[in-house]
Amino acid sequence: MNFKIDDELRKRLAGIRELGRTQIRPLGLEADRAGKPVDPDHPFYALLLKLGLGRTRWLGGELDAEQDATRSRVGSPPSGGERGHKAGPSLTGVLLSEELAYWDRGVAVSFPGPGLGEPPVLSMGTPEQKERFLARFREPDRPRWGSFAMTEPGAGSDVAAIRTSCKRDGDHWILDGDKSFAANASRADWIVVWATADTSLGRAGHRAFVVERDTPGLGDFKIEKKMGLKAYESTSFTLRHCRVPASHLLGGEATYSNQDGSRGAKRAGFKGALQSFNATRPMIGAMAVGIGRAALDEAAAFAREHDLGSDPRVRDRLERTRRKLRVARLLCWRAAWLADQQQPNIVEASMAKAHAPAAALDATLLGMELLGEVGARGDHLIEKLFRDVKAMDIVEGTGQIQHIVIARQLVGLPRE
Amino acid sequence: MIDFALDPELELLRETARSFAQHRLRPHDRDFETARGVDVATRDAFTEIGLAALEWPEALGGAGLGALARALVLEELGAADAGAALTLDPLGPAFYALAECGEAAALQAIAQPLLERPGSRAVLAWNGVARVALRNGRATGVLPWLPADRVDLLVLLDGDAVAVIDEGIALAPLRGAGLRAAGASELRLDGAPVRAWWVNPRGARRALARARLYAASLLLGVMRAAAGFSRDYALQRVAFGKPIAHHQALAFLITDMAMAVDGSRLLVHEAAVRLDRGGDAEEACATAFLEAAEQAMFVTPNAVQILGGHGFMQDYPVEKWMREARALGLCFGGVDGAREDAGRGIVAAHAPLGLLEAQP
Ligand SMILES: Cc1cc2nc3c(=O)[nH]c(=O)nc-3n(C[C@H](O)[C@H](O)[C@H](O)COP(=O)(O)OP(=O)(O)OC[C@H]3O[C@@H](n4cnc5c(N)ncnc54)[C@H](O)[C@@H]3O)c2cc1C
Repeated sequence: MNFKIDDELRKRLAGIRELGRTQIRPLGLEADRAGKPVDPDHPFYALLLKLGLGRTRWLGGELDAEQDATRSRVGSPPSGGERGHKAGPSLTGVLLSEELAYWDRGVAVSFPGPGLGEPPVLSMGTPEQKERFLARFREPDRPRWGSFAMTEPGAGSDVAAIRTSCKRDGDHWILDGDKSFAANASRADWIVVWATADTSLGRAGHRAFVVERDTPGLGDFKIEKKMGLKAYESTSFTLRHCRVPASHLLGGEATYSNQDGSRGAKRAGFKGALQSFNATRPMIGAMAVGIGRAALDEAAAFAREHDLGSDPRVRDRLERTRRKLRVARLLCWRAAWLADQQQPNIVEASMAKAHAPAAALDATLLGMELLGEVGARGDHLIEKLFRDVKAMDIVEGTGQIQHIVIARQLVGLPRE
Repeated sequence: MIDFALDPELELLRETARSFAQHRLRPHDRDFETARGVDVATRDAFTEIGLAALEWPEALGGAGLGALARALVLEELGAADAGAALTLDPLGPAFYALAECGEAAALQAIAQPLLERPGSRAVLAWNGVARVALRNGRATGVLPWLPADRVDLLVLLDGDAVAVIDEGIALAPLRGAGLRAAGASELRLDGAPVRAWWVNPRGARRALARARLYAASLLLGVMRAAAGFSRDYALQRVAFGKPIAHHQALAFLITDMAMAVDGSRLLVHEAAVRLDRGGDAEEACATAFLEAAEQAMFVTPNAVQILGGHGFMQDYPVEKWMREARALGLCFGGVDGAREDAGRGIVAAHAPLGLLEAQP
């Protein structure tokens, strides 16, 4: 057992720290004041590309088969030989996510790259689809984004209830419906859109399509006004008789259709979605830890500047906050480590996701409390963190949904 | 790099401890409680599998294992019978005070005989509030409760020093709130001779840290048992047409209890690894104890709650676990002492949880 971060990763974290201090946090504060997302043409994004960020983790081409063979549901096994010497991809992702979110979670989500659209393309896509949709993210000529759209006005937690329909029409599918809150959607090259072929089938009827930006019928992009995390866009849009080439159905027909009767196989489409959640839950948890840690640092600094260090009431609450964040971080690490070991992590990932946002919210609430009326002014970083953090308990499965996921494993809580 | 896997030897040790705990302790916990102690055969079995001298130096015939090994074993024992765990361990956390502050020779002279006399108990008592006054080589005062009916060696620990007393110890038996299998006594000293007195603030703080981790590990075991037992019960018990575990209010509660156990364990393990690496672990140990004590106060009363009226009855073990968790959380300065030590540096620290700073 070991809790040390290796030197290579420490270097990367130090790099993020520098970028965070000089660029990410100022940009986040600026976007927050302006009340709108960072412009896609902002030079910061070009800088990120120069730094080697904003890319896909797909290895591409001939390496694809190898990656397929070794990839677990949530990442690939640690490279570089023996266990324990080098962080696997999930742990790496968790550590980098925490540090990025520490500086600004909103800006971090606005980073170019395939984003949440990548996991379903990686796990369900055919080699041709990966080539078509991910290749451009290997050495991007300019900042490019992917997006992921599951949520609808009438279906969030209850993903089985999505109503966006897909109907086969020759060598196309026709998509009709409304999607809500998809990150980076209006600037994206393509959006992974979840639709249903038959609402009476529930999850078994789900299909995932990659819808490219200029597809006729895709439109009405509305960048939502949010309480926080203003640096990236959460965008609602519509699909109106939107014709999508059949080749953009992720995994191809076979993935969904030829298994009538077998319930498990019929739910392949839905499982693809869950799989992508599985990959990201510990990462969302880590982001919450990052936000909470920023609040903790600010709160401690405020206490220092105002000579509150000897007040046990202040100290005790700071201690508790740090303790809960530390637990949260360890839960995230454990879930990610399990993923890297290709061990099941359903319970652990949900625990991380259930615990971290609550701990982080507490950190910001305490920070506001210590600041008192200074917090109410609305111009302190803690106040922004306090508005940012709440989303972490909502996205990628709410806290309640994580409880349900865990309870299914612990006590076999039935699905209605 | 970050790695949650246990070395195979530790895995084996944990299995050994679990098997002993579940077969030799758990089925007899009420007997031990009534008898205020364990029987000779159980004690012999414990010694035989090497659990009595787990951290005792190899050079002196012990297993020479570290803090993580101890934490793993104590979780298993605590999950069966924390009181029995205390009485089975001849040195208990008193070992830490002797090892951190006394010289090797003293360790051997003072502690070794206890290992050789079955049933002996060295007891560590926190004397941070000076219940016992030490003057001119004599100790006078009253300790209101110790989980012991027999004290061969009393080790008093405060923030700076360790005092060792092995004569003139008067015990008056008490009923005890919990941990009765270890006994329960009020301890009186009336000018008892102090056999050894070592002033060593660093050692004393480290001894306290290790003692807290000891208690935290037992607490972890107790709450794990309570969470697991009540979960299993909730799957059997039917109300309003389905197992009570399938009512969302209880399903979520059970989930929160499982998270409380897991989170506490992660802090215990992190602190243990820190200790084993020889790093600065006082804050980590205080934090782990605090979390374990607080979460055990969440988990064990809720375990009783999940069993309803049956939980209140002594036919089930959950009420015992609730009492034991409460008692363990009072040891070694209790949660407020731990809070003090865990939070001491937090305002002064620049990045109290920085990824690049907080490395064990
Ligand atoms: C900032 C932000 C970014 C987002 N980005 C994306 C994105 O990129 N792509 C995307 O597809 N979506 C995105 N979402 C949407 C997000 O995934 C949904 O908001 C989330 O899944 C919750 O769904 P809902 O809003 O419909 O709430 P609902 O599902 O209506 O839930 C309302 C409340 O009921 C509770 N609840 C629901 N079911 C149960 C149950 N069975 N038991 C107990 N409680 C229950 C929930 O926990 C919640 O508290 C984003 C949301 C936000 C806020």
